Amino acid sequence: MFLRKIALAGAVSLMGSGALACSYENEVPIKSLSAGFEAWKALTDAMAECGNFQAELDQEFRTKQPAAFEANPALYQIGGVANGTITPLLNAGTIRPLDDLVEKYGQNLKPNQLIRINGQIMAVAMMVNTQHLMYRSDVLADLGIETPTTWDEVLAASAKIKEAGVMEYPLGATLKSGWNIAQDFNNMYTGFGGTFFNEDNTTAVNSDAGIKALEMMKAMTEYTDPEVLVSDSTYVQQQFQQGKIAMANLWSSRAGAMNDETESQVAGKVVMAAAPKAMEGGAPATTMWWDGIVIAKNISDAEAEAAFRLAMEGMNAEMVQGANDAAIWLVEGYEPNDLAQGVIETATAIPPPPAYPSTTQMGLLHSALGNELPAFFTGERDAKATLVAITEAYTTSAKEAGVLK
Amino acid sequence: MSTSKAMQQSFALRFSSGAFLAFWCLLAAFPIFWIAIMSFKSPVDAFAASPWDVITGPATRANGDGLSILDIVLGLCVLYFAVRWAFTRLPELVRHYCPPGIIALGWIFGALIYAIGFVLIFFGLLPLILGPLNGLLGPLGTPVLGLTTEHYVAVWAENEFYRNFLNSMLVTAGVVTVSLTVGTLAGYGLARSGSDLAFWLLILALIFRALPHSVLVAGYLPVFINSSEILAPIFGEGAPTLYGQPWAVIAVLVAINQPFTIWMLRSFFQNIPAELDEAARVDGCSHFQAFRRVIMPVMWPGVITTGLFSFLLGYNDFLVTSLLLDAQNQTMVPAIAGYFNRETTTTDQVEAVAAAVSITAPLFLLVMIFQRQIVSGLTAGAVKG
Amino acid sequence: MKFKTFAAFVGPSVFMMLLFIAAPLVSVLIQSFQVTQPILEQVEVETCTPGFLTQTCVTEVKTVPVLDENGATVTETRWVGLQSYQNVLQMNKVWEAVGNGSWNDIMQIDFWKALRFTLTFTLLTLPLVIGVGLAIALAVNNATRAIRGPVIFISLLPFIITPVIGALSIYWLFVGDGILTAMLERWTGTNISMFAQGWTIEILMYFFQVWHVAPFAFVIFYAGLQTVNMDTLESAVIDGASRWERLRHVIVPHLMPLIIFIALIHLMDTYRAFEVIVGFRSQAHVISLQWLTYDFMTPDDAGNRAISRASASAMLTMIGIVFLLILPLRRTWRDHKGSAH
Repeated sequence: MFLRKIALAGAVSLMGSGALACSYENEVPIKSLSAGFEAWKALTDAMAECGNFQAELDQEFRTKQPAAFEANPALYQIGGVANGTITPLLNAGTIRPLDDLVEKYGQNLKPNQLIRINGQIMAVAMMVNTQHLMYRSDVLADLGIETPTTWDEVLAASAKIKEAGVMEYPLGATLKSGWNIAQDFNNMYTGFGGTFFNEDNTTAVNSDAGIKALEMMKAMTEYTDPEVLVSDSTYVQQQFQQGKIAMANLWSSRAGAMNDETESQVAGKVVMAAAPKAMEGGAPATTMWWDGIVIAKNISDAEAEAAFRLAMEGMNAEMVQGANDAAIWLVEGYEPNDLAQGVIETATAIPPPPAYPSTTQMGLLHSALGNELPAFFTGERDAKATLVAITEAYTTSAKEAGVLK
Repeated sequence: MSTSKAMQQSFALRFSSGAFLAFWCLLAAFPIFWIAIMSFKSPVDAFAASPWDVITGPATRANGDGLSILDIVLGLCVLYFAVRWAFTRLPELVRHYCPPGIIALGWIFGALIYAIGFVLIFFGLLPLILGPLNGLLGPLGTPVLGLTTEHYVAVWAENEFYRNFLNSMLVTAGVVTVSLTVGTLAGYGLARSGSDLAFWLLILALIFRALPHSVLVAGYLPVFINSSEILAPIFGEGAPTLYGQPWAVIAVLVAINQPFTIWMLRSFFQNIPAELDEAARVDGCSHFQAFRRVIMPVMWPGVITTGLFSFLLGYNDFLVTSLLLDAQNQTMVPAIAGYFNRETTTTDQVEAVAAAVSITAPLFLLVMIFQRQIVSGLTAGAVKG
Repeated sequence: MKFKTFAAFVGPSVFMMLLFIAAPLVSVLIQSFQVTQPILEQVEVETCTPGFLTQTCVTEVKTVPVLDENGATVTETRWVGLQSYQNVLQMNKVWEAVGNGSWNDIMQIDFWKALRFTLTFTLLTLPLVIGVGLAIALAVNNATRAIRGPVIFISLLPFIITPVIGALSIYWLFVGDGILTAMLERWTGTNISMFAQGWTIEILMYFFQVWHVAPFAFVIFYAGLQTVNMDTLESAVIDGASRWERLRHVIVPHLMPLIIFIALIHLMDTYRAFEVIVGFRSQAHVISLQWLTYDFMTPDDAGNRAISRASASAMLTMIGIVFLLILPLRRTWRDHKGSAH
């Protein structure tokens, strides 16, 4: 029985690779380094069909990428980046402009996909990602709750669900200390119209919007699992799947998992909606992200051409159709379904949410937030003191990085 | 040795000591036992809140994967005999067939054959027999216990975990061999030299051992990545990029492991009477010859024990291997961490658990085999202070 | 032994340690007194990023590093003395907090928070590991020969298992509605969240550490027990020594060198605690010194690393371990002197 299964699995994977052939044979050895989530897996698998391609899907890519691209010759020809992680490559000038290559091989690209810095194409995006509201339509409908559009409504709905005794902790949140909690603060802070930096690169989080954001987040924790400071996206996703929570502001790339029958006890009951607004008339309290590819500078032009051609071959309609639910693709051939609803509503809101800023300062502030915010939620510090601590932590690291004098 | 009357213990003492031991064994084995169970269940069952659901696996059974009573009984029988055999007959066979000089090699060989045989019988032969039998038996043959091996299939076949396994083996074997070769020499030198220099070297090694590894590793990364540029003046065009090379990682792990190795081996050599090699030296041997002729034949218990600790270090390392190896050469532990850290699904997590259980299996085998050697090696001297 | 022969024996080992440990260490020491920064300039940059259907373009003033003609970042390295140490230690805040008599304020500073945990973690688990290890060793030594093999095998499991995986296996039992938490909840009838507050996480971490290290102590003690001099033991019995007195006056002194050995190894390994923080995801509540260093080292999205502060915190960690090791090492020094002369 087991052996047969193994043999079967092998046969299926062989057939799978035989069926989707590449339109040409790649002769130049190409390597890529990117993050490792589903969408990257789909893309690199499609690229591997052309041969001579090795993909490194690595959770440490952030640590390795800047150094690996700075080496001469670069250790990887293709890099997978997002709006945050492109910054060190841009700053160090280790990726090349792609205008000529796009002209040659990018017939299928939409203008929306081309990341332009000062008019030059520096990266090609393949997908967008954002945190938006997911909720259990059945639970909300039973209690006669309308789809919440603001955080106050989310809290009211949570209170109602809790009161009705349907769930003890109706709200999920990605408040794991470190990167996640900082990102949640960023969402809420921009939702309250806050700006991150002053003209002189000092941080402006110690402001009214900062206090409001913290208070709103604190209010959220009344309805979340008490262990929320270890809860990352996977944890929230599992809480959803096990029917423990009714609402969460979660990454769109997680939407597909809600309907995965093998894991989810609530398949078909989770509905996507725009990210809630923090205040009336404001933008949805979230940030827009993209993921895409860049080509190294420290390689020969022939290699760069082969690498780009390969990436374009991977980013085709066939690949997207094979993994339609893995991401909100920007690639031609993507058919937005119910799962994409949240992203579409969020991105087309007026005013729209900002893109996550790709700057050196933002990286420093993000770390400072991630380290200093937890103390506020464990009750060791009040809101004002937390914002002061964040400002101090940012100032120290910004001085060390040379951003502040 | 026989226990004299006076040393005999009251029943209460024996009982409480036995109870304590039983409690400890439960404590020691339970978490590991539990993740082993989780790895055989569908994601819904694996993370269920009720322990009973995790054990019986209703969702897994609903998918049509499970064991019948007959499967369980027969499986347990085979398991029992396999374990018994490993503790009784296997040692005899190895001792019988293996030339005495290379007993360690014999053990490794025997263990490998044993492992392969076990896998073949348990996962190959048993299902083949049980499949038709279950069909014949009716109610006795229907699944009662949800159990699925799909995660193992996914990990080993689809995700090609065997590559990581081979890489792990390569790195670990390298670490153990180099570490012991270099370490025995140094340990012997340090044990036979009473100079202050030797003492300070040992203290320095101790401080090195206390260093946080993350500091060292972060220092290596840029150098390793740019090594072909840095080394070009020395090696010319063919200068290697160290990043991603298993042998470079082996070198790093050996260095990190050196302090412990030389401490262990030094204390071990100190307990081999210095008169032995002095006698050989009187006969006209140099230090190296004395080492080879006199010390090498008697040093194996200590070397095996130290080697086991090196093995654990190389096999379990996470920090160094995750940063310095690329995907093609990645070892098992960082590969498993990859399952957790990337954007995961619950299935991914159970697969990670299956992978985690898989990497524990060789350690099981290792301890089973070398258990006696660990204790006797430690008794022989490495721990006398 | 002549120096030349000695050098030939220890040479390869010392060379590897110097190359891979001492050299990085020296560079860390130097970096802890330096700050290396890129030369930055302010430029106006227009960035266009995708929305769902259309792009949004923003023009903003960005601070970016200056590149030289080869395309490499121009950096500048300055000596800053003890500035990085001050950034890590934040002594001004500490004195202020001491002035206010506020322990809580000191615990808000990452380094002191990490130091507090690392020290309690190391020093609290030390007697536990030795005690539990010794207890298991005595119990196994007491057991019938037939069951010793399997018991030693099971006892060694927590020690050999990969630490991250061991930590995770315990984490899963307790996180959320993990089975053991659910069981505790049923017994006590209250809602328990093991990972919602610092002290419960700490207890789990202590438990994990003892679970993980006690087998090592056990196997060493067990080996030591095999060499206890039976004559001494029997003459103690004849003198009418009780079981407890025999343990105290014969067995423990016999095992003393081993206890020191284990204490030494345990102090070093536990002081370096890192995997346990990762495995239990306890960053929000408790951190260790090595985790702090690692955190400084880890680049953020924009590629910034706090190398200088990481170096300073690493050096401070080292100073700490030297202090911890002084006591056990003095004994080694005496032994060395004793054996050499």
